[in-house]
Amino acid sequence: MIQMKEFTFQYDTGKKPALKNIDLEIHDGDFVGIIGNSGAGKSTLTYAINGIVPHYYPGDFYGSVLVDGMDTVDTAPEQLAVKVGSVFQDVDAQMVATYVEDELLFGMENFGVPKDEIEARLTEALQKTGIPDLRFREIDSLSGGQKQKVAVAAIIALRPDIIVLDEPTGELDPESSDQIFQMLKFLNETYGTTIIVVEQKVGLLCGYAKRLVLLEQGEIILEGPVREVLKNADRMEEIGIHVPRVVSLYKELVQRDLFRGEAPIGLEEAETMVREVLS
Amino acid sequence: MKGLMNYFPGDTFLHRMDPRSKIVFSLLVCIACFVTNNIYVLLGILVLDLLIGVFGGIFTQALRLLKGLLKIALFLFILQALVMRAGTPAFYIGKLAITWEGLKTALMGVLRLIDITLPLALMISLTRMSDLSNALVSRWHVPYKYAFAITSTIRFIPVFTSDLRSIMEAQTARGVEFDTKNFFKKASLIVPLCVPLLISSVKKIETAAMAVELRGFNLRTKDSSSKVSQFHLPDYLLLLLGIGLIVLAVLI
Ligand SMILES: Nc1ncnc2c1ncn2[C@@H]1O[C@H](COP(=O)(O)OP(=O)(O)OP(=O)(O)O)[C@@H](O)[C@H]1O
Ligand SMILES: [Mg+2]
Repeated sequence: MIQMKEFTFQYDTGKKPALKNIDLEIHDGDFVGIIGNSGAGKSTLTYAINGIVPHYYPGDFYGSVLVDGMDTVDTAPEQLAVKVGSVFQDVDAQMVATYVEDELLFGMENFGVPKDEIEARLTEALQKTGIPDLRFREIDSLSGGQKQKVAVAAIIALRPDIIVLDEPTGELDPESSDQIFQMLKFLNETYGTTIIVVEQKVGLLCGYAKRLVLLEQGEIILEGPVREVLKNADRMEEIGIHVPRVVSLYKELVQRDLFRGEAPIGLEEAETMVREVLS
Repeated sequence: MKGLMNYFPGDTFLHRMDPRSKIVFSLLVCIACFVTNNIYVLLGILVLDLLIGVFGGIFTQALRLLKGLLKIALFLFILQALVMRAGTPAFYIGKLAITWEGLKTALMGVLRLIDITLPLALMISLTRMSDLSNALVSRWHVPYKYAFAITSTIRFIPVFTSDLRSIMEAQTARGVEFDTKNFFKKASLIVPLCVPLLISSVKKIETAAMAVELRGFNLRTKDSSSKVSQFHLPDYLLLLLGIGLIVLAVLI
């Protein structure tokens, strides 16, 4: 479990706090989407969870961030990394190896995974991310989506309880983006891995996440189950967040008194709504 | 540079050999080249180099490399032949005498250059970078940080080139024409792009450093690698061959 209590952080080089008065609890097995405009503090929030803040980016740190009871300020990032796996926005930069296999071995070898266990974990991680056929491929020769999966596989091999991802679909086409989220959902449902993901494509995110956190200028302004947060679609559009089109449609229908149900999430529910309205 | 440091995948006995024996063999060949004054030994080594290409299944690459080296060699050959004044004249260019001794020294020099470069370049083409770095760290106790710095540098080259390409594409979209034949004009267009490239590179390296540390880089020791390189019969034979070459070079 992750607990942030009255957490405020200002980078040493920053002029104002990147995050202000954050109170947030993320439970085991949750799937949380973080949204917000550029500069809202989304990346900083992920840094606070994996210990990059304050260990690599020093600054003024108030309040507390606990990961499974460990205070991130007192815990070395490497130690935290056993619990929290991180996938950075820039996939190319985070790759260390030339070959997919070596990319997965790197972390396992460093953390001292017993040598007789390595092979099993390697095949398992490739299986879970759906890329067993890429094992001996050169990373340079892979597509953006495939590289993302390799990055996630390299983290999964370390068996973290929590995975933090910063815009994992940033440069991907809709189909590959969907595949990444399918994979995250699979990990979340099958193994109970806690997923925390920053994502610009709110529509895509809403189809998979259980909860949303909306940041604006360093503060959490909306937080809760996806359906609850989407009830504030007006407020979201006001600050410039693109709400999913089905939600806009839903609002329109409710306004014209054509529909009375809950806001739909994902295509299937949208279809049900439209059918109901038409009949 | 292309083809010089590139790994050519394969499964020949040369691919499977211990990286250490391949490196040591290349160095032994180097020594033999310097020790010998016999042109037949140098020619013999050249044949051996090409055989490495054949057995490693990269003969075409070996020839391409040889062709590239010959261009530099030709230049050195002419230079050396012109500089060497002593000896009996072979022919004259105007008033300048080209001597037999000069021609022979030039030929030896060129052969040496090729003989020294080829084995190392070919052996590296037959060795995966990660295997080499693993072997150096776990067996020769090279600090992992250095091995990692070198392999990362090589790995980042294509990343930076693709960054540069995308910056250039963005500029092209704004009407800058890079496909000019004039070298100076092209340079004057590309040099200003180095600043954005530098900024994006520094950011990348920063992310890379954090990502690597979060995956336990600092916990790694020389015993961390799960792939342990081991000497087998072919490795010993190859080293024996290298020593044999030196002995031969000393004797004749
Ligand atoms: N390394 C840093 N040093 C100083 N200030 C920083 C640093 N990183 C971010 N900031 C500042 O902190 C604030 C929050 O940045 P952050 O990167 O967390 O936002 P974000 O929501 O991830 O934005 P984006 O969508 O652009 O990635 C911004 O005002 C930013 O300028
Ligand atoms: Mg960000």
